[in-house]
Amino acid sequence: MIQFFHVSKRYPGGQSALDDITFDIPRGQFVFLTGASGAGKTTLLRLIFREEVPSAGQILVNGRNVASIPQSKIPYLRRTIGVVFQDFRLIARKTVFENVTYLPRLLGVDLQGQKKLAYQSLRRVGLAHRLNAFPPELSGGEQQRVAIARALINEPDILIADEPTGNLDPDLSREILRLFLEVNLRGTTVILATHDRDTIQRVGRRVITLDRGAVVLDQELVGTDPPALDLLAGTGPDPEPPPEGEGGAG
Amino acid sequence: MRFLQALRYFCREAAVNLLRSWKVSLLAVLTIAVSLFLGGAFLLVSGNLAASVERWRGEMRAVIYLKPDTPEAELRRLAAEAGRQPGVKSVETVTPAAARRRFQQIFPGLADLVAGWQDEPLPASLEVGLDPAAGAPARSAWLDGWRRRPEVTLVDDDREWLGQLETVVAVVRTVGLALVAGLLGAAIFTIASVIRLTAYLHHEEISVMRLVGSTEFFIRGPFYVEGLLQGLLGGLVASGALWGVYQLLHARGRGSLVSAVLVLDFLKPQEVGFLILLGGAAGLFGAVASLRREAL
Ligand SMILES: Nc1ncnc2c1ncn2[C@@H]1O[C@H](COP(=O)(O)OP(=O)(O)OP(=O)(O)O)[C@@H](O)[C@H]1O
Ligand SMILES: [Mg+2]
Repeated sequence: MIQFFHVSKRYPGGQSALDDITFDIPRGQFVFLTGASGAGKTTLLRLIFREEVPSAGQILVNGRNVASIPQSKIPYLRRTIGVVFQDFRLIARKTVFENVTYLPRLLGVDLQGQKKLAYQSLRRVGLAHRLNAFPPELSGGEQQRVAIARALINEPDILIADEPTGNLDPDLSREILRLFLEVNLRGTTVILATHDRDTIQRVGRRVITLDRGAVVLDQELVGTDPPALDLLAGTGPDPEPPPEGEGGAG
Repeated sequence: MRFLQALRYFCREAAVNLLRSWKVSLLAVLTIAVSLFLGGAFLLVSGNLAASVERWRGEMRAVIYLKPDTPEAELRRLAAEAGRQPGVKSVETVTPAAARRRFQQIFPGLADLVAGWQDEPLPASLEVGLDPAAGAPARSAWLDGWRRRPEVTLVDDDREWLGQLETVVAVVRTVGLALVAGLLGAAIFTIASVIRLTAYLHHEEISVMRLVGSTEFFIRGPFYVEGLLQGLLGGLVASGALWGVYQLLHARGRGSLVSAVLVLDFLKPQEVGFLILLGGAAGLFGAVASLRREAL
């Protein structure tokens, strides 16, 4: 699904951000991307949806060579990838509804359909009641969840999330993680960049560790926290109820 | 269907943008309106002037003034002779007394000027109606023949000043066209600046739209429509203002030479349509020019 072959990235005038990265993420995999601040996580993610082009190497996403697709085809690549940006990138003067429905709107979904999609998507992050709020009226964690709702609205093939739980309290953080695992269960490939070692330890899955632009570790971890895994068993038609088995949290 | 939906979205976004930054939008609309108003005014004036020339050409006359002491029998004989010339549609004899009465009628304020003289102050004349279809060289030669006659003092030929008037019309048109082209250029520049400003205010949103997979068409559409709307609005304002000024001049100057010649008829509907469309085209052009790839 996502293949990197000897990919390097050097920002203009800067030093090397990524150096000779090679990996292969099969369809449907759930991958943590971790590493110290400045290790190159955001840069790596940006290369996948072509916000940046690699300085060297090849990147295949869904069989397409991302570095060499023509400018006019980039939008079609991006529509298959949901991205939760580290800095959210919500538009302050647009409502939450308008913020999350950019993609359906441009795909020609009518207003009724947009409302339905927005409601569904926001409900998954527990913000269905803030449909008409403006981002500045929301807390940091709420904004982050709106960004997540926007990324999920079109059931993307690939979900890329850059520190998606950075502003969330532990309970919410777990809930969002559960949401990602659930999305992954439905077939979406998920790449999640995080500093949060605890979460990684608990949940397990594949972990790619970057250090100063290089992959230093690429391992499969088995989760240490069975309750966290049990969350997955609870996936049903209604993803709303708070996590069970967390000692009455939430 | 998809396209119509996109168009609706473009229009809504464009309308929101126009209202949000209504001051700069108004500036753009007004600059385009001013240039189109002047363009329309030139069109109006030169059109009416040209129509007048055409009308006068149809009733082209030459006036042959005779010596003051020409007897009336001689006057009639000369009239008969002129009437036999091919290309002459009509000949009217104007006796000195008739000339005086006519003068007093046309210029009542100056009536005293020609009254109370011992002799008639004005000369007798022949007013010759000429067929515009007849050849110009033959007519000139014939009138020159009259000029050389001893009993003739002056031959006044309409054709000469009609020719000059046509030059005036051409000059008015050329100057108008150049002026309007310059102003339109300035208006396009203004619209382009306003659109660029709007795009700048939206750069964050534009980058988000790109990242979620918007095509350039979808991103630029609202700005194109915004430019188009500003241009069309400018055209409408210009047409409205022109209509107002026309009504004013027309009503105030009824019967005067100025209104008869310059503001007799308003622009034809298709000319008004052209003015408005020209505004729209200028606005669209400004938007397209301001949003070349590098600019966004
Ligand atoms: N637009 C840019 N221009 C120049 N250098 C950049 C740019 N973006 C990132 N870098 C540099 O590239 C390196 C990797 O940055 P990146 O943002 O990918 O790190 P990160 O792992 O996401 O860090 P964090 O955990 O703090 O988000 C850093 O040294 C950074 O300074
Ligand atoms: Mg980062």
